[in-house]
Amino acid sequence: MKLYYFSEMPHHEYPDAEGEKYPSLRLEFPNRFFDREKAHANYQRYLTEYEFADQVGFDGLMVNEHHSTPSCVNVGVNMSAAILARTTRRAKILLLGNILPIEENPVRLAEQIAMSDLISGGRVLSGFVRGVGVEQWWSNVNPMHNRERFEECHDLILKCWTEPGPFRWEGRHYHFRHVNPWCLPLQKPHPPIWIPGTASPETAIWAGRRGYTFVPFLVPFDIARELFDYYRQGAAEVGREVTPDKLGFLICAVTADTKTKALEAGRHFVWRMGATLRGPVEFFSPVGMRSRAGSQFALKARPRSLGSMSYEELVAGHFIIAGTPDEVADRFALVQRELGIGHLLLEAQESKMDHPTTMRSIELMGAKVIPAVASL
Amino acid sequence: MRPMKPREERLRVGSIDVHTWIGGDGAPLLVLHGAGGNRGFTRWVERVAQRFTVWAPTHPGFGLSGDAEWMDGIDDLARFYLWFMDVAGLVRPHVLGHSIGGWTAAEMATMSPGSIDRLILVAPAGLKPETGEILDVFYYPPPQLLPMTVHDPKTVPEWDALFGAPLSPAQQEIAVRNREMTARLTWKPYMHNPRLASFLPRVTNPALILWGREDRIVPVECGEQYRRLLARATLNVLDKCGHLPPIEQPDEFARHVLDFLGGDVRR
Repeated sequence: MKLYYFSEMPHHEYPDAEGEKYPSLRLEFPNRFFDREKAHANYQRYLTEYEFADQVGFDGLMVNEHHSTPSCVNVGVNMSAAILARTTRRAKILLLGNILPIEENPVRLAEQIAMSDLISGGRVLSGFVRGVGVEQWWSNVNPMHNRERFEECHDLILKCWTEPGPFRWEGRHYHFRHVNPWCLPLQKPHPPIWIPGTASPETAIWAGRRGYTFVPFLVPFDIARELFDYYRQGAAEVGREVTPDKLGFLICAVTADTKTKALEAGRHFVWRMGATLRGPVEFFSPVGMRSRAGSQFALKARPRSLGSMSYEELVAGHFIIAGTPDEVADRFALVQRELGIGHLLLEAQESKMDHPTTMRSIELMGAKVIPAVASL
Repeated sequence: MRPMKPREERLRVGSIDVHTWIGGDGAPLLVLHGAGGNRGFTRWVERVAQRFTVWAPTHPGFGLSGDAEWMDGIDDLARFYLWFMDVAGLVRPHVLGHSIGGWTAAEMATMSPGSIDRLILVAPAGLKPETGEILDVFYYPPPQLLPMTVHDPKTVPEWDALFGAPLSPAQQEIAVRNREMTARLTWKPYMHNPRLASFLPRVTNPALILWGREDRIVPVECGEQYRRLLARATLNVLDKCGHLPPIEQPDEFARHVLDFLGGDVRR
């Protein structure tokens, strides 16, 4: 099983009491609380941590993108990927991912992903996501078009990568008369494509049909298994075999020299389960963003919101894994047995988890955990 | 007042079945509903239907009408309703529209002013306010939004009948449908057409604009804009009234409509 390092690049640099005055930390929390000096230092720090994760032997470095929120100030997944393409040597660079429905120019996106792949020597794993509702508000793209634009943007990017230009694209949402990108990915026919899932059966089936790597995020094991079943259903429709290499899972994880220290560090993940997800349902799921089936599955997938769970419950449910390297390796092995996955994505830094704690966790993962789970 | 029993019909217009309430006596009056959906023959319609034959269709994508996923904006809906008038055999009807229905009526008038008689616009969206903003109705959960649409729920005579009971699953499905189609038609540019102001001077039909002074959804300043841009328009602003004049003040509202259309001969 391969391990991936991931930080949301949080900007938890304001008094919590201020954030609590607003209905949500997303969209509504005024950006006068954005601290430019601290952001400068944090970006440097977060990139150093990614580079260290590459050096100690993580199989991959995952970057993501959000907007209008202190929970994630990585506002350009292709920018961070391009930096890491140059400053790291070995690990895959997992973009998970580009938010396709809010993209106005898929051709530019195809070019940018290709450029990171070229700089990195073919290390890009290109994730495509539908985004959370907040990004629809941020971009003002009609959420009624979310799935249509996701699929059309995907189709155009794939065509850019696999069919010779110049060609014309006249779709429902995208129109280009001269497509001929002079920047194509190093990997042939194109970088592997990854798709995350939290609650949409349609997305799981869609990914299965295409043989993309499918990664549920922070859901209970039984829900992950159910999503994998949908994925297999899609794969079976086209006679595709599903190997562990096509299945991943994302959790939060930290290790330290002692269990006490690890459990203390693990508390930083609670912020991302509750505070940063607080807000009206319209912010996260605006009108039309989800199908009826998706809405019903979402209710089933989260009978209890992550935000309503205590730290102890989050640990017991394996949403957070924190312990000594041996304990963490055991838990990762359990996740692997439960889900049959080939990739475990670790959200490994959050909130106010400091640089020394993060670096020590990365170091111990590299020295003891990665070797222990590599053969699973 | 004679009770009016409207009939329900499904009119096939192009590829879409349009659910329509029809009832009353007299010249035709086409009534176009707002984002909340088609409430049928409520109190004000009953009154107006004493003197006019009311045609109250449900917009495509709303309520019990067929889907219209290909529509992208209110101008599409306006062109569709000009077609609907052909199918229904409505020759120069009066047209009354509320909120996004008012916007639709205004667009129809700019496209084919000779096809309609008098125009009544009730708190129509469609124009960008010069100073304020149109409330982002999609930003609020529906239960939070509903009381914001009126000045004071306690003064709305039909409040309990319309909103008092919890929604059945079928009604809930319609509410979601209505909200989704509204988003499809109005998301961007939000609730207005930047080109509408340039076309409105074409409309010389007599026009009545009605607005609630306490409208928190579409600010009353938009009423002033419509009055300026339309050649023969009167603006009446109702006190202690929000965005839903037809149900907030149904009797007074019906009186304004009948006075303007010249139908209230018995008052």
